[in-house]
Amino acid sequence: MSIPIYTYDAIVVGAGLAGCAAARELQNAGKKVAVITKLHPLRSHSGAAQGGINAAFSDEDSVELHEFDTVKGSDYLADQDAVEFMCQKAPETIRWAERMGAAFSRTPDGKIAQRPFGGQSSPRACYAKDRTGLTLLQTVYEQADRAGVKFWDEWYAADIIYKDGKVSGVVAFNIRDMQMAIFNAKSVMFATGGYARAYKINSNAHANTGDGLSIVARHGLPLEDMEFVQFHPSGLSGNGVLISEAARGEGGRLFNSKGERFMEKYAPNAMELASRDVVSRAILNEIREGRGVGPRKDAVYIDVTHLGKELIMEKLPELRELAITFLGLDMIKEPILISATAHYSMGGIPVNIAGNVRKNNDEYVEGFYAAGECSCVSVHGANRLGANSVLEALLFGRFVGKTMVEEIDSIELRTATQEDAATALAEIDFILQNNGDETVTHIREELQQCMTANAGAFRTAETLEIAIKTVKELRERFQNIRIKDKSTVFNTELQEAIELGHMLDYSLFIVESALPRKESRGAHYREDFETRDDENFLKHTMAYMGDNGEISLDYMDVVLGKHELKARNY
Amino acid sequence: MSHKITTQKVNFKVFRFNADEDYLPYYENYDMEVTSEEVVLDILNRIKWDHDGSFSYRRSCRHGICGACAIKVNGRSTLACKESMNDMVDLFGSELTIEPLSIKRAVKDMIIDKGDFWEKHDAIKPYLISDVDEHPEHEHLVTPAEAEELNEADLCIQCGACHYACPVVDINEDFFGPAAFAKAYRFEADVRDDAHTDRLVDLHKESQGLWDCVKCFECAEVCPKDVNPIEKITKLHQMLFKEGVATSNVATRHAVGFKHSIAKNGVLDEGGLVLYSEMAGIVKHVPVALKMFKKGKIVPPWGIVKSDNLDEIQKLVKSSSTAKF
Repeated sequence: MSIPIYTYDAIVVGAGLAGCAAARELQNAGKKVAVITKLHPLRSHSGAAQGGINAAFSDEDSVELHEFDTVKGSDYLADQDAVEFMCQKAPETIRWAERMGAAFSRTPDGKIAQRPFGGQSSPRACYAKDRTGLTLLQTVYEQADRAGVKFWDEWYAADIIYKDGKVSGVVAFNIRDMQMAIFNAKSVMFATGGYARAYKINSNAHANTGDGLSIVARHGLPLEDMEFVQFHPSGLSGNGVLISEAARGEGGRLFNSKGERFMEKYAPNAMELASRDVVSRAILNEIREGRGVGPRKDAVYIDVTHLGKELIMEKLPELRELAITFLGLDMIKEPILISATAHYSMGGIPVNIAGNVRKNNDEYVEGFYAAGECSCVSVHGANRLGANSVLEALLFGRFVGKTMVEEIDSIELRTATQEDAATALAEIDFILQNNGDETVTHIREELQQCMTANAGAFRTAETLEIAIKTVKELRERFQNIRIKDKSTVFNTELQEAIELGHMLDYSLFIVESALPRKESRGAHYREDFETRDDENFLKHTMAYMGDNGEISLDYMDVVLGKHELKARNY
Repeated sequence: MSHKITTQKVNFKVFRFNADEDYLPYYENYDMEVTSEEVVLDILNRIKWDHDGSFSYRRSCRHGICGACAIKVNGRSTLACKESMNDMVDLFGSELTIEPLSIKRAVKDMIIDKGDFWEKHDAIKPYLISDVDEHPEHEHLVTPAEAEELNEADLCIQCGACHYACPVVDINEDFFGPAAFAKAYRFEADVRDDAHTDRLVDLHKESQGLWDCVKCFECAEVCPKDVNPIEKITKLHQMLFKEGVATSNVATRHAVGFKHSIAKNGVLDEGGLVLYSEMAGIVKHVPVALKMFKKGKIVPPWGIVKSDNLDEIQKLVKSSSTAKF
C-alpha cells in the first residue's frame, strides 16, 4: 500500500512555544506550513512553566545585567553572542506576547509585573500568577491558529528524511489509526522539547521523551552538551512534580530536620535564591547526610507560611493546589516537602543563533532547524537560570521561524519517495512483531533508576561507568521487547516502546558525554573533580552515534565575550 | 509533621473498548493497594504498566495543567492527575468505576473522539482579535482591576470535563457547551480585544445556544480548575444587554420580563412572565397553566399581591440596572 505524500514549504515538529511561534511567522509570510504534534498543541509542556519569563525592562535593571546573570549562571559555558541576542530581544519578545493576548499579572500602573528569581541581580521574571507558561502557550497557539496554521495533532513524527547533508521532510503516523504519511518540505524545524524523562524523579510531562534528539542522532548528526541536565531544587517529595522557583522568589525558606535554614552554609549571600544547581546539591547533601524530613526522609521543608494567605492565594495559587493534591499539605498553614527533581535539558541539537542545525563544528544541515528545549544554541551553558527557558523557546522559536522564511526560497524541494519511510516502517514493524520477553515498563524503570542513581546531581567516574554499562545492556534487552497491543487504534503501548527506544539512545549520550568531563561545571557535578577546569573543559561536547550505536566525542569552542571568566559564588 | 503514607484496598471496574475490535464495550476488574500519595492517573498508569499494556488513555503533564487526562470516576468528571485517590475513596468508597468522559464517543478505553469539543472551541474565535504590533516598545497598559475582569477564564485548560458533564451538550449537538462559552468570555472580558460586538453577535445567535444553558451548575461543580463556566455564561448574557447586542427572542424576553415583573410588583408574576417571553407561543403552555392554576401554583395577573415597600424595590432595580432593554 502506498504512503501518502503531503507537500509543504515548511514542517514544524512540536507545538509548544517554539513550534507555534515559528509556524506563525511562516504562515504570516505566506508560506505553506504544518505543525505535527503527538499531543493537542494546548497539551504541550511549555504550558507547565509556572514562575516567569525574563526580560530586563525595569528601571533598576539592564540588558547587560541579564546577560551577566545568564552567563554566570551557565558557569561560563554559554555562547555569549547567543546570550546577548536573547537578552537584547527579550523585552520586545515579551511585549509582543502581551500584544497577542498573554494575560500577565500587572503592576498598579498597568505594566507587566516582575518578580525575583534565583541567580538574578534584579526582579526580572515577568509572570502571570504562577501559570506563566500556560498563558504564553495559549496565546501563541491561538495566534498561530488565527493566522491559519495547519496543525496535525496526535500525529507522531517518527523520522526525518535526511540525505546528502539536507533534510527534506518528516515521516509520521496518525496515532489514532496508525496511518503513515510522508511530509515533504523544503525546510523542517524541530521543537520537540526536553529529555528529563530519562530520570526516575523528574518534573517533566509523560510526553517529554526526547524523541527529536534520538531521531536526529540516529542519522549520525551530533548532540551538544548532553551531560548537562538541570535538577530543580523544588520537586514535590515522591513524584518530582514541580513547585516553581516563584515559591523561593516570593520568599520561601528551606529547612532541614534540625530546623536549620541550611542555605546559610552553601550560599550565604543569595541563600535560597542561589542558582538552581547550587540549591539542588545543597538539598541533596542535607538528605544524604541524614537531615532529610518526611516519611522517607528524602525531602527538606520549604516554608512559605510567613508570606501569609493573601499573598499565597494571589501569587502562588496553583502551587498551593499541587501540594494539597499530592502531599495533602496546605502551604498556607505548614511547610511542604520538596527535593531536587530532574527538570531541564541544557544540551540538545546543536544550532547557531539563526537556528540552523549543525552537521559538525563547521558545517550546517541544509533545510533543518531547531529551537526550544530540544536545541542547544547555547544560551544556558552548564546551567539554566530560572525564567530563561520560556524566554528561549518563545524568542528563538520566533526568530528561527524568521530565518526559515528568509532561507526557504533558496532551498530546492527534494521530492520524497516511498523509500523515505523505510526506517520508520521497519522500527514500527519490529516493535509490533518482535516476540521477546522484555516489557517497556521494566526497561524504562531500570533506565530511570539507573540514571537517577548514577548520572544525577552528583556523579563520579565510577557511577558514570556503571551507567554506561547499564544503558548499553538495556539497549540490548530492548532488542528482546514484546508488546501486547497489536491493534492500530491509539496503540499507546507501541508509542511508549518507540519513545523508550529514544530514551535509551539519548541517555547513552548523557552518560558518555559526562564521563570524560573531569570537572564540575554548573549542573554537571563530579565528586571526583570538584572544581571547574577552564583550561581543559571550557568547551562544548559534540557527541555522535555511529552505525554500531557507539558514541564518539568531539569538542567545540565556547564563544566568549565581554563577561570574563570568574569564580561562581552566590 | 503529621505527614504519613497510608494504603487501602480498592476495586476498580474499568471501561474497556477498542473501536476496531470490539462490538461492545466491557468492564475489567482490578484490585489494588492504593497509597495516600497516589492520584487517579497513577492508577491508570499502573493498569497499563503492570497489568495490561494495551490499556489506553490520554495524559501528559501529570500535574493538572495540560488538560489531557479528564475521565469519569463513578460518573463524575474529573482530571485524573489532579484527583487524589484518598478523596475519591472518601467520596465514593472502595468500589470505583473508571470510564471515559463520554461513552458514546469512546474510541479506545479512556480515549474519546473530542471532535465536537474542539469544533466548538474553534468556532468562537478563540484568540485575541487585535492588530498585533510585531515589534512593540511598550506593552498595553492594563490595570490589575481590568486584568481581574477575566475572572480566571484564562485558567481553562480545555480538559472537557464540563463539556461532557453538561446535560444540554448531551441532548443538543448544536449547543456550544460551557468550555467554549468560558473561552469566549475570556476574550470578551479582555480590554485589549477589538472584536467585542462581533463575537457577541455570533454568540447571540440561537444556533450556538448561549441562551440554552439550563443553569444546573454541573460545569462549575466538575471543573478541576475552578473556572466556574456558568458564571461566564451569565456574564455573557449581561454583556449582550450592556453592549446592545441582545435582540428580542424568547430567552432575552424572559430576562427582561423578569425584571419588568419585579419592577412592577416586587414579586414574580409567573403567568405574566411566560406571556411576555413566549408571546403567541403561550398557547402551548395553556394546559399546564390551567393545571397549575387549579392547584393554586399561579395566580392570574389581576390577583398578584404586590410587595410591601415596593418603592424601595423599585429604587433598587433602577440603581442596579446598567443596561437599557
